[in-house]
Amino acid sequence: MRIKKGGIMRKRGITLCSLLLVGLSLVLTACGSGGKKIVIGTQNYTEPKIIAEMYKALIEDRTGLTVEIKPDLASSKVVIEGMRNNELHMATLYTGEVFNGYFEVEQTKDREKVLQQAQQGFSEHYQLKWFDPYGFENTYAFTVRKEVAQKYNLQNVSDLKPYADTMRIGVDNTWLERESDGYRAFQKTYGFQFKEAFPMQIGLVYEAVANEEVDVVLAYTTDAGLKQYDLQTLRDDKQFFPPFDASPVVREETLKEYPELEEIVSLLIGKIDADTMTELNYYVDVEHRSEKEVAVEFLRQLGLLE
Amino acid sequence: MKALDLFGGSYADFLRERYPDILRATAEHLGISGISVAAGCIVAIPIGIVLARHPIPWLQSVIFSIANIFQTIPSLALLAILIPIFGIGTKPAVFALFLYSLLPILRNTLAGLQSVDKSVLESARGMGYSAAQQLWHIQLPLAFPYMMSGIRMTTVYVISWTTVATLIGAGGLGDLIFTGIGVNKNELIFTGAAAAILLALLVDFILGNLEKWVMRKTGTTKSDTTISY
Amino acid sequence: MADSLLKFFQYVTDQAAHLLFLSWDHIIMVLCGLALAVAVGVPLGVVSARFPKLAGVVLSAANVIQVFPSLALLAVLMIFFGLGFKAVVIALFLYSLLPITRNTYVALKQVDPSMIEAGTGAGMSPLQLLFKVQLPLSLPFLMAGIRLAAVIAIGVATLAPLIGGDGLGREIYSGLSARNNIKIYAGAVPAALLAILADIGLGKLQQRLKASRKPKVAD
Repeated sequence: MRIKKGGIMRKRGITLCSLLLVGLSLVLTACGSGGKKIVIGTQNYTEPKIIAEMYKALIEDRTGLTVEIKPDLASSKVVIEGMRNNELHMATLYTGEVFNGYFEVEQTKDREKVLQQAQQGFSEHYQLKWFDPYGFENTYAFTVRKEVAQKYNLQNVSDLKPYADTMRIGVDNTWLERESDGYRAFQKTYGFQFKEAFPMQIGLVYEAVANEEVDVVLAYTTDAGLKQYDLQTLRDDKQFFPPFDASPVVREETLKEYPELEEIVSLLIGKIDADTMTELNYYVDVEHRSEKEVAVEFLRQLGLLE
Repeated sequence: MKALDLFGGSYADFLRERYPDILRATAEHLGISGISVAAGCIVAIPIGIVLARHPIPWLQSVIFSIANIFQTIPSLALLAILIPIFGIGTKPAVFALFLYSLLPILRNTLAGLQSVDKSVLESARGMGYSAAQQLWHIQLPLAFPYMMSGIRMTTVYVISWTTVATLIGAGGLGDLIFTGIGVNKNELIFTGAAAAILLALLVDFILGNLEKWVMRKTGTTKSDTTISY
Repeated sequence: MADSLLKFFQYVTDQAAHLLFLSWDHIIMVLCGLALAVAVGVPLGVVSARFPKLAGVVLSAANVIQVFPSLALLAVLMIFFGLGFKAVVIALFLYSLLPITRNTYVALKQVDPSMIEAGTGAGMSPLQLLFKVQLPLSLPFLMAGIRLAAVIAIGVATLAPLIGGDGLGREIYSGLSARNNIKIYAGAVPAALLAILADIGLGKLQQRLKASRKPKVAD
């Protein structure tokens, strides 16, 4: 019995060669990420993504740098860690994040003091420059459907107390775990808890409450979902949540390497108020326009881009 | 190293404090996986039986192709595709995993039924067994190990993939993992993963024992039925 | 319904460049993972076929990895390797390992003993036997393993964005967060197509290898 080796060997040779070629081209592509690049990281909701697109447009317009956006990172914490590890260079962060276990902080609800602590603390411990705020705050707000608010006459969070043990609440993925402004701390301050708490991505909570899958949600105040589903936010009467002013944050090392960035980043400081931000979020989340389009349009309106 | 400082006394404290959440997530997880696989069995096994009795090659081909597509499509993509239809939450997750479980169960049922020696069926017919009796008394018992093998394999995979359901608000152990990523707490990631794996192993073990018990009751002997997946 | 379909096609055509880019990223990650898995898994399979005791250990280990929930594995790898590409490729490599290793092992064990006898009879050394007889004959089944691994890898790669990676999962996930069904489909449909095409394509390759491996018996 003779084995026809020719055909088999050729096929095997071809397979091996193609695998080698693939391997080589991969190595080349993967390693060949040359060129000066700034990486902006964002959390998994629309707001920081729009701002990231704004900076991408500004930086690429005014410098020779390219900007890559890494969106949908699981939380601000992941973003901060990413910046610490030099995997990200820039991001949008909120002052209240300072209480989330990064360094020693003084417990205060004063806006100025919280901002100061953020700026000092992150520079000292993480070598990040926390710029002054854009001009809006995006904090947590307990939210219910309008009919429910009217039915039980709910205006403040404390008004929920008598009904809470029958209510299911939808929250973002991290609130249940947060130390100083999370569920456990909330229970201590307000003195009640809900029947059941469901963590999910923040984008999903609005639909969940509108569809009556949950009764209360912990929304973000500048999210479009509030307007889209005509929901009512309740006042944080015990002032449980810290301030959450939004600012650009950049690695100090990156600023040293590209000093021109400092001016560009500062262009947006004080230029975006809460109503504007909510409107921009609305364009993307409800009207389904792209973050890039909305960002560029806004910059043109401000005269920062042609 | 960050990863190592979750062990020691602190992990025991963590478990003690969080076990209600962990149990709740596990129950949700088991619910989603269990219903999906059960639904898969309810649909795939009868189809397998019908195909075995009435072999129509082109129909078999079509059904297998459709089931195979559900297996091939990435789980997240399948989940996402179902959202506009089912909304978010457990419904699309259960349906997606149900679709995912169809092929292995169907394939194993068919293979099991077809593995029965034709001569055995012939002699049964000769002895006066009706078609239904042949099915119930001969084919199914002999096919049972194959079917169980498919069900066990599917269950293990479904339990593993149910973790992804957290991304569409369906709950389950994926919640622990995803939250752990967000708050940088390795204990959560580890616990979510460990619980899912333990759950899979436990269910596999229980199903294995169930298989043995059924076979003992029906007096069939076990054959080697590991089918390559 | 037709209106949504129209909007979907409009979006896809608008974003064609972006989506193609994401698809390319996706494919690259999968290919890297697969290439590594072949480079490591085939030798592992060969060694396992020679040393049955090792086979038990290797296959069990690979089995455990297979059952590890993908979300968790990605998270763990992110802790060690940081955000992005590297961690994802390692995850894909790990998930591809079992199908490739096991199929190599099984295929080698299934090689017709008479072929081996013929080869030894012709004066081949064990190494020559491996490369000229056993591996070529195992190729179809090995391809089946690669095919399965590719489908699994494409699936796991859709989760890459959760740890900062690229790929079509970006579009899916972004659509999920923004509750934008069109975006969800713009990511999910190409991902599904990619998997199906890979399955069909590699399946055809598998058939071709199976056909060519039938040895011609000469007198």
